[in-house]
Amino acid sequence: MRKTLLRTEKLCKSFSSGGIQQHVLKNLDISLMEGDFTVIMGSSGSGKSTLLYALSGMDKPSLGDIHFEDTNLSRLSNDQLAVFRRNNCGFVFQQIYLLDNMSVLDNLLASGLLVNKNKQAVAAKAKQLLIQVGLDEASWGKFPSQLSGGEAQRAGIVRALINSPRIVFADEPTGALNSASSSSVLDVMSGMNRNGQSIVMVTHDIKTALRGNRILYLRDGMIRGDLALEAFDLRHYDMRQTRLTAFLAEMGW
Amino acid sequence: MRIFHLSLANLRKGKSATFSLLVLICVASLLLNIGTAIATRMSSFYEDKAEELHDAHVSLVMNSANYKKSYGDYIRFYPGVEEAEMERVILLPTAMLRLNQSDFSIRTAVLNADSVRGIAPLISGGETASGTSGGIYIPHNLKASGYRQGDPFTLTYRNKTYTYPVAGFFESTLMGTTKMAMLKFYLPDNAYRQLSTALGPEAEGILLSAVFENSADSGTLLRDYNKQFPLSNESVDPGFWGADLETAKSSSALIITIIAMIMVAFAAILVLVSLTVIKFRITDHINDEMVNIGVLKAMGYTSAQILASIVLQFLLIAIAGSTAGVACSYAAMPAFSGVISSLAGLLWTHGAHFGTDLGSVGIVVLLVLAVGLLSSRRIRKLHPAEALRGGLMTHNFRRNHLPLDKAKGSLQLVLACKTMLANSRQNLMLGSIITAITFASVFSVVLYYNIAVEQKAFYQMVGAEKPNVGIQVEPGKDSEQLLQQIAQMEGVEKVNLLDYLTTTAEGQRVTTEFSDDYGKLETHTVYEGRYPQYDNEVVITERLAVRLGKSIGDMLKVEIGNTAHAYLITGLKQSFQAGTNGASLTLAGVRHLIPGHKAMTLNVYLKDGASTPNFIRTAKAEYGDVIQSLTDVDESVKSGTEAYTSAVSSVMVVILAITVLVVILILYLVIRTTILKRKKELGILKATGYTSFQLMTQVALSFAPIVIAGIIAGGVLASLYTNSILELLFADAGITHVHFIIPATLVLTLCFAMTGLAYLVSLFVSRRIKRITAYALITE
Repeated sequence: MRKTLLRTEKLCKSFSSGGIQQHVLKNLDISLMEGDFTVIMGSSGSGKSTLLYALSGMDKPSLGDIHFEDTNLSRLSNDQLAVFRRNNCGFVFQQIYLLDNMSVLDNLLASGLLVNKNKQAVAAKAKQLLIQVGLDEASWGKFPSQLSGGEAQRAGIVRALINSPRIVFADEPTGALNSASSSSVLDVMSGMNRNGQSIVMVTHDIKTALRGNRILYLRDGMIRGDLALEAFDLRHYDMRQTRLTAFLAEMGW
Repeated sequence: MRIFHLSLANLRKGKSATFSLLVLICVASLLLNIGTAIATRMSSFYEDKAEELHDAHVSLVMNSANYKKSYGDYIRFYPGVEEAEMERVILLPTAMLRLNQSDFSIRTAVLNADSVRGIAPLISGGETASGTSGGIYIPHNLKASGYRQGDPFTLTYRNKTYTYPVAGFFESTLMGTTKMAMLKFYLPDNAYRQLSTALGPEAEGILLSAVFENSADSGTLLRDYNKQFPLSNESVDPGFWGADLETAKSSSALIITIIAMIMVAFAAILVLVSLTVIKFRITDHINDEMVNIGVLKAMGYTSAQILASIVLQFLLIAIAGSTAGVACSYAAMPAFSGVISSLAGLLWTHGAHFGTDLGSVGIVVLLVLAVGLLSSRRIRKLHPAEALRGGLMTHNFRRNHLPLDKAKGSLQLVLACKTMLANSRQNLMLGSIITAITFASVFSVVLYYNIAVEQKAFYQMVGAEKPNVGIQVEPGKDSEQLLQQIAQMEGVEKVNLLDYLTTTAEGQRVTTEFSDDYGKLETHTVYEGRYPQYDNEVVITERLAVRLGKSIGDMLKVEIGNTAHAYLITGLKQSFQAGTNGASLTLAGVRHLIPGHKAMTLNVYLKDGASTPNFIRTAKAEYGDVIQSLTDVDESVKSGTEAYTSAVSSVMVVILAITVLVVILILYLVIRTTILKRKKELGILKATGYTSFQLMTQVALSFAPIVIAGIIAGGVLASLYTNSILELLFADAGITHVHFIIPATLVLTLCFAMTGLAYLVSLFVSRRIKRITAYALITE
């Protein structure tokens, strides 16, 4: 039986701007299972990224609780959340956000050495992961600005995996990539999930969303739909696409 | 108008950076304006004071018994003299008075407040005064010793005390400070007559005063008088004293001018700091806003318009900051006026000085304009398309410094070092600024230590001998016999004779010291060659040697009146006391000029632990009949240098306070900018699990090496070159060799304190990382 990894209870997030309170997330109760590839979809401004960053402990909820297994993230201090993130989470961003003053390898080690002090071991793991995502030795010493978008995002994925996180959060990881690069990045992510890696991904792209086995649809700060799919398999691509399209149509996409 | 609004928008965007720069420019202008105002006013201060008080340009005082009518006539008819006057006074060759809670011996002239006089009328509280108040009028400078109107003032002469209530204070350019070795006082007619009767004809003196049509012409009178009347000088008459405006200026103006120069120099450092900050801010602004510049150019803005919008914001800051600084200088001036008044012995009034104000504002604004234009000239060459593509150029990293898989050290330290190496330009600026202010701070600490704490090197520099007790022998008594007797007294380590007279050397008026044994001196002022040992040897100051074209081994003809003798120059010395023209002869050597002449001043050096008051008491009791006065030199020096030490302490405190301010402001500015620039990077690191404290440490550590390097560089440079700078500053006064002690412990403490302060400020400023969430750091 699969166990629950992340669970929210009446999760609310509000922003205040110019004296006007805006409620972005409203009383969300969600459970995310270990090993799932959960995709959060919704129209612009529906609160997808806000939910992702709240779930990952990057941002604090205004009300409600977020439980990671037995840990209530809402009660952790900022520094405790940092330690939580380094030990349990990996992040893949739309803008990639590699540190532009460091080489690719250093970007990975800057994360890896936070958890494991053994430089050789971390470096070896980073290199192995880089090879796995198709980045050969020639790119390891390059700066992010010298990589293509796809290469940079694959390096970003390796950074997310370097500490063997319990869960990877991806915020529109293919949003800034062309179609070929998107495919290669998504293939890497699907492969990760096949190996048991839990992933939560925000996207508004149907092709990208098809990689998930659970689709949550967010509108006006509330979950309006929850679609369960089988694990991604290219052979059943059309059938998945039909189901997802129907679901989205139902949601008013 | 649009450009003005664009500038205002830029200012609003960087409020704290604008404020920091404003404060820096304000403090720089404040110091610049005060320093310049003092230096400018000082150049004619004594002349203006002499005119305001209708004071003498030259004064001579001598015992009545030694006065001849021809002396007065010589002065009256000397070329250029507009007004001359002779006045009978009470002359006390060494009277004792209380200064700064210590006894102080000094030559004193007491004048009749009710006498009619044209030159130097008694003016007290801005009005002509007389003796109707019944008390004594004392020099304004004595106010610094705590005297107030109505307080009792006591003169001690030959063991008798004469006490009068203080009726008021007056200013005098020549006879108002202890530095001139003569003080004058005014007593009302009755008290004057009583004192004159009590002291007898022996204390009757003559004061000769002269006012020149042009004060600049007064400099030769004393030299010519000395040549004309070889028997009218201190070698014959212990009460004899002569001074001119130039002497008064050199006694005080130099130290005041140096203080002013130090302030101007520190202001220059601050202006330089501000200009460096502006230069880097403009460069950063262009890099950060390159795409916007491209958009503006594409929209049709000319380079001049864009450039003007950037430069104008700094011009606005410069105008506001320098105007505020000049305004603040008026508020701060009273504090400086007090210090200057006590150093000059004359009331320093702080009126408006619009010329200097305009100059200070003008210099700062022009420099900012020049640096602004130079730093932003790159905009002219930038094509819109190039600017629109410019984003990438700002992140053109060429080298991956310290790869994490190979670099030694903790992750935090290595990441901090990587950041430091990636920001070399900014660090160069920070390092230069820290070096400059550390230099200034160490310089001020060295100055303070050598003038206020361990004064040996200071005495060495000014050439002041500092025995424990000074004995003035009664005229006509045998000083050499007394020397033998004093040497036998208990607690005495050594005694020597050291006296001064004025000679002429190839047309130059020379303050000449002579001693029976230079080997017994504590302060050795000869820096090349050796002291005279034989009667045909002389040592002269370097400036005199240059002036006369002489060097060691040459012969020098020295004259007193009509007697001349040639001496072999055996060494070069420096002496602040003797000014630029000084010489040293042996006692036997002086006797070639004045046969049988005696030194009448004995320097007594006591053994460690011996009590000076006990010695003075015993010497008075045993040899009172041959001793005119005994001075506790330690006490006198303490009170005499009070004004200097307090002035130097004030300067040090001001410089250290400004250093702290600059360290805080600069680090605040740089770190804040760094955090803003690295916001995304810090956000990524936070997202990947770095704690706020780790990032704060990283930021603080990334500045630590450059701050430490700057502090070490500033400290080392100041330790190596403080003496050279002082030699440069004092060169005009004939001081060419300065060996101030560099107090290693104090300098190291200062450097450590600055490092600690910088690190704490860095941590404190980088605390803002704590307040921002990873999400906000990335997405804002």
